Amino acid sequence: MIEFKEITKSFQSGSVRTDVLKGLNFKVDKGEFAAIMAPSGTGKTTLLNILGCLMKASSGSYLFEDIDIETLNDDQLSDIRNKKIGFVFQTFNLLERTSALDNVLLPLVYADNYPVDAKQRAIKILESVGLGERINYKPSELSGGQQQRVAISRALINNPSIILADEPTGNLDSESSKEVMNIFKTLHGQGRTIIVVTHDINIARNAGRIIFLKDGRVEKTEVVS
Amino acid sequence: MKALRVAGVSANTIFKHKMRAFLIILAIVVGIATLTVVVALTQGMNKKIMKQIQNFGPDAIVVHSGGGKIRGPSTASEANITRKDVSDIENIDEVKLATSFQVALDMPIKYGNKFTTSWVWGVEPSWKDAWRRGASKGEFITDSDNDQLSKVCVIGQSAAKELFGDANPIGENILIESVSFQVVGILEKRGLSPIGTDFDNLILIPFTTASRRLMNQPLYISTARVIVRDPSRVETVAGQIKEVLRENHHLAATEEDDFRLSTPGEIAEMVKSASKTLKLFMWLVAVISPFVGGIVLMNIMLMAVSERKKEIGLRRAMGAKKKHIIVQFLAESIMLTFSGGAIGVGVGIAIALLIKLSGKPISVTWQSFAIAFIFSTLIGLFFGIYPAKKAAALDPATALSQK
Repeated sequence: MIEFKEITKSFQSGSVRTDVLKGLNFKVDKGEFAAIMAPSGTGKTTLLNILGCLMKASSGSYLFEDIDIETLNDDQLSDIRNKKIGFVFQTFNLLERTSALDNVLLPLVYADNYPVDAKQRAIKILESVGLGERINYKPSELSGGQQQRVAISRALINNPSIILADEPTGNLDSESSKEVMNIFKTLHGQGRTIIVVTHDINIARNAGRIIFLKDGRVEKTEVVS
Repeated sequence: MKALRVAGVSANTIFKHKMRAFLIILAIVVGIATLTVVVALTQGMNKKIMKQIQNFGPDAIVVHSGGGKIRGPSTASEANITRKDVSDIENIDEVKLATSFQVALDMPIKYGNKFTTSWVWGVEPSWKDAWRRGASKGEFITDSDNDQLSKVCVIGQSAAKELFGDANPIGENILIESVSFQVVGILEKRGLSPIGTDFDNLILIPFTTASRRLMNQPLYISTARVIVRDPSRVETVAGQIKEVLRENHHLAATEEDDFRLSTPGEIAEMVKSASKTLKLFMWLVAVISPFVGGIVLMNIMLMAVSERKKEIGLRRAMGAKKKHIIVQFLAESIMLTFSGGAIGVGVGIAIALLIKLSGKPISVTWQSFAIAFIFSTLIGLFFGIYPAKKAAALDPATALSQK
């Protein structure tokens, strides 16, 4: 499903070159729930940006459902993001002054075909994460946990191949964190592929497999029993 | 359809940022209202010029005695056109008629204890056909008046009002430079002449009476008015008249004309050039105002791009392509400037109508609407494209990481 082969990423600032990823190799299979565990400042965000097709690697190859991502142009990358990836961010990234329902519908604005039942589909997803009563609430009227559930609903609206979550519980209390991780587990149970990037081992343990990063490389892989 | 959905996002954004939208619309309203007023004023002025040319007559040529540049009509004291000149002009195939008249400017007029000054013209009965203007009341100057050197006059409405107020002047006697004339008719109203003088402050007397009793010019004619058969041939006929007069006046090739010809084209040029500087200034203001509005738009939209980096990053992460971001921001600019244009044209027309109340020439036509809408849309496009491109050029990962 996803395969990183010798992925590197460097940033140049003036004469200073920083190598963030130094030859990453790993695979995530279809239907797998994987966690990428990395301490802060070790290229976690860069890895997520590459995984989410928001950024290209400096070298190496990234295969997404057998598509070589490194060969795609900007528009093709946008299509991949729109059709195949559902993002969940640490800071939720919901549009202010926009209802939960409209936030969920956002990816469909850019879809090639706008489903006739888009609204019903969005309401159904919001109901499935326990927000059926709050579809017209704006982000400022929702708790952190509720906002993250709206963000998860948004990630699901396009029925993506993979859900990419960046520290999804980073801004939540323990109760909300548990709720959010339970949603991920349920989604995994339904056969969805999920990658959670986190620095919190307790969160990572919710996944079936943990990939540990250190110094821009995979340090080890651990299967969670 | 996708473009429509993206444009829908723009409309939503406008509603969610009312103050920003208000400021942009206000700037465009000021610009477009100014443009609308100037268009209405210019068209009003053009209409007025056209009316003045119409007053002059689109098929008319006026032959003035004396050379030099165009000024007012030549007076009897400088007359050098002969009866033969006028008769030769009349013999030109394309000439329908020619009428001679003597002109005296600002003659003192007295009735009872009231004084005024007026143009006094000595005319033949054909004057009425040449000017398409006869007596609205009473009689016009007749052949017999000319044969008998009668001391009768037809009085223009401004002069009549000045001397008689609302009373009926017909049958009354007035003094023109101490010679008594009986008023036999009132001249049809005409308005302003092409050079802006009052065509109704005019008194007509018989040509012969003017030549021999009032203006002491028995030999020459000060002015002649020629009507051509085909108005489109006016300039050609004017050329023929010029040839006739130069030959009759024995002018050598090196000598300048000792007469002047006024044609509708020349009159139009003269009136237009008089208002040229004013028009230029007005257009400058009219073009600068929406331009300033455009700069305000660009400024606010650039600020919006800067403020909304995270939103742009999010949209890109959700699958928006660069072109979608461009369409979103450009549509936002165009919707705002178009709304500003619509309100601006309304405000402009209201101002134009207020100016009209003060008697200024104003003409509101569909062109005002068309120019305002085209201009406002162009402003949206021209000044909106840079912020839109800037938004689209943002790197999605960097934009998304903005605080």
